Amino acid sequence: MDDRYRQLQWRMTLSGLAVTLIPLWLLGAAIYLYFASAVEQSQRTQLHALALNRSAAIQLFLDERVSTLEVLAHTATPDDLTAPGELANVLHILNESQHSFVDLGIIDANGEHLAYEGPYPLEDRNYGGEPWFQETMQRGVYISDVFLGFRGVPHFVIAIRREDRPEPWILRATIDSEVFIHLVRSGQVGLTGDAYVVSRSGLFQTPPRFGGSILEQAPFNPNIAPPGVNVVFRESQMSGRMMSAFAWVGSKDWLLVIDHDPAEPAVPLRQTLRLELIALIATSLLVGGAVIFHTRQLVARLAAEDEKRVRTEAQLAHSARLVSLGRMAAGVAHEINNPLAVIGELAGLMEDLIDQDFVEASQHGELFNENVRKIQRHVDRTREITHRLLGFARRMEPQHDNVNVNEVTREALSFIESEAAFRQIELVQELDRDLPIIKSDQSQLQQVILNLVNNALDASSPGGRVVVKTWADSKSVMVQVEDDGSGIPEELKERIFDPFFTTKGPGEGSGLGLSICYTITKGLGGSLTFDSEEGKGTVFRVRLPRIQE
Amino acid sequence: MPIRLLVVDDEVDFLESIVMRIKLRGFETHGVTSGTAALEHLEANPDSTDIVMLDIKMPGMDGLETLRQIKTSFPELEVIVVTGHGSQEYNRLGRELGAFDYLIKPIRLDTILERIEAAYSSRHPGSGD
Repeated sequence: MDDRYRQLQWRMTLSGLAVTLIPLWLLGAAIYLYFASAVEQSQRTQLHALALNRSAAIQLFLDERVSTLEVLAHTATPDDLTAPGELANVLHILNESQHSFVDLGIIDANGEHLAYEGPYPLEDRNYGGEPWFQETMQRGVYISDVFLGFRGVPHFVIAIRREDRPEPWILRATIDSEVFIHLVRSGQVGLTGDAYVVSRSGLFQTPPRFGGSILEQAPFNPNIAPPGVNVVFRESQMSGRMMSAFAWVGSKDWLLVIDHDPAEPAVPLRQTLRLELIALIATSLLVGGAVIFHTRQLVARLAAEDEKRVRTEAQLAHSARLVSLGRMAAGVAHEINNPLAVIGELAGLMEDLIDQDFVEASQHGELFNENVRKIQRHVDRTREITHRLLGFARRMEPQHDNVNVNEVTREALSFIESEAAFRQIELVQELDRDLPIIKSDQSQLQQVILNLVNNALDASSPGGRVVVKTWADSKSVMVQVEDDGSGIPEELKERIFDPFFTTKGPGEGSGLGLSICYTITKGLGGSLTFDSEEGKGTVFRVRLPRIQE
Repeated sequence: MPIRLLVVDDEVDFLESIVMRIKLRGFETHGVTSGTAALEHLEANPDSTDIVMLDIKMPGMDGLETLRQIKTSFPELEVIVVTGHGSQEYNRLGRELGAFDYLIKPIRLDTILERIEAAYSSRHPGSGD
């Protein structure tokens, strides 16, 4: 297979693959995107539910502890609680059920401890100037933000103010940070998920897993979070793109934040992507294979058809050559037969008229008589030759020897001269005398020239002129046939070398002439080109190589 | 009564000698150089001809057209084509148009006369020589 077919095969394969695979891949991408968005939607819903659930749990945690302390403050007097050992007893009972109180303190209206039970030496501390003390005195019940306080350890307190003595007093409990942090962290999901609480002023109330520690400033302003639960995407410095849920804890100005890496727990998505990729690749291989296989077959068939066509053309050219030679032979026979018949009849008449008296009276009478008979015998002999000419022409083999292009041209023209004269078209020869002898096929070349001149005559009107010209350059010998006839219409120029293309009426031309000329010229290693202007005429040029390959 | 011949051929040398030779053999013979002249002669001299000897390649009206018109206007006449044009195509056309025979020049006069007599016999059975 030559480059032309390989190129065609390549182009057909590419366009076939593009037409089949691009829609396939687009469909694959669309399915993936749809699935990814469905997964994201489901993650968002899950995260929303988790945040709602965890914030409710925190709320419940705080509410339980506030009510426990409120019950205690309402059922016991400060005198009961400050009795020696009593506070330790109460702390023990509370931690049996709730495990979250670090210490308990009873504080008077001035901020002085009336009693304290816990691990820190805080009995002598005065809380009069502490923010949580002031808030509790004002509000009655107060849950503080996380702070360091006198103990220097992050913690938060729940404090209840009572008025049942002449002076108000405060029951204060410190909540175990570990228990609270554990509760908040129960909202973490996966390896990279995070859950923490931020105060309204932006301080971490529980330590995040990544990028910060307790009481540090969070990298965002919690006040922009609207009330209720919200799920948003945000860029985190630590883990890139994050899906985050923000939930305000109802009774406290705390914002629960649950961060979630959308890529991490998306196992079904990755599995789907993998499955889809496998399906896509398998389908692509199948479709691609089919496209390549069929294109290959198609082009092979095309090449075979072309080869068959070229063979047929060559056969046609061969048979056309034989037909043309046959016509030439017949033409020659006709041209010779007529003068031969005249000679025969004149001699016959002479024989008829020579009588015995003439023979005897003349000195050379017998010689005359004899010669007249001889002339007739030779006429008979020549007749045999012209009758055999046709058969001889049929047996002619293709030649590949020295060809004088001028001679071939002159010969071809001699067969057509009378036809031109009959149609009143001037046939002009302008042959280069110094034309080199070339190696070619004389009869094939003659057929080409004959065909071109014939076409030129067909295109010309009476009074027209057909010029046949030969010349040579360093590489080629040229034969040009020029007419001043009707010319070739622009729209037909591309088709004139096509087999069976003809402008002549049915039965007048096979449409093979130019196609065969083209094939023959190619076969001789040359080329056939033309210039034509409608209404002005046409020039055909046969270029023949000076040296045959 | 001798066989009466009309010879049509544009080659004057051929025409003159063959007419003379046929006359020498006792046939009544007239020669013309074109198809038009042949038709004019036949119209001007009705019942003057038995056989027409006709060439094909002639300027003006060619032999095949002349043959067609003779066969239309004078169906009683036999026509023998004698021409230098030996193509199968012309041979077939000539016979289709009703030529008795199609002979290729050059040809011996004796052969032509044999065919002429055969043509005459086919029209006049039992007439003999």
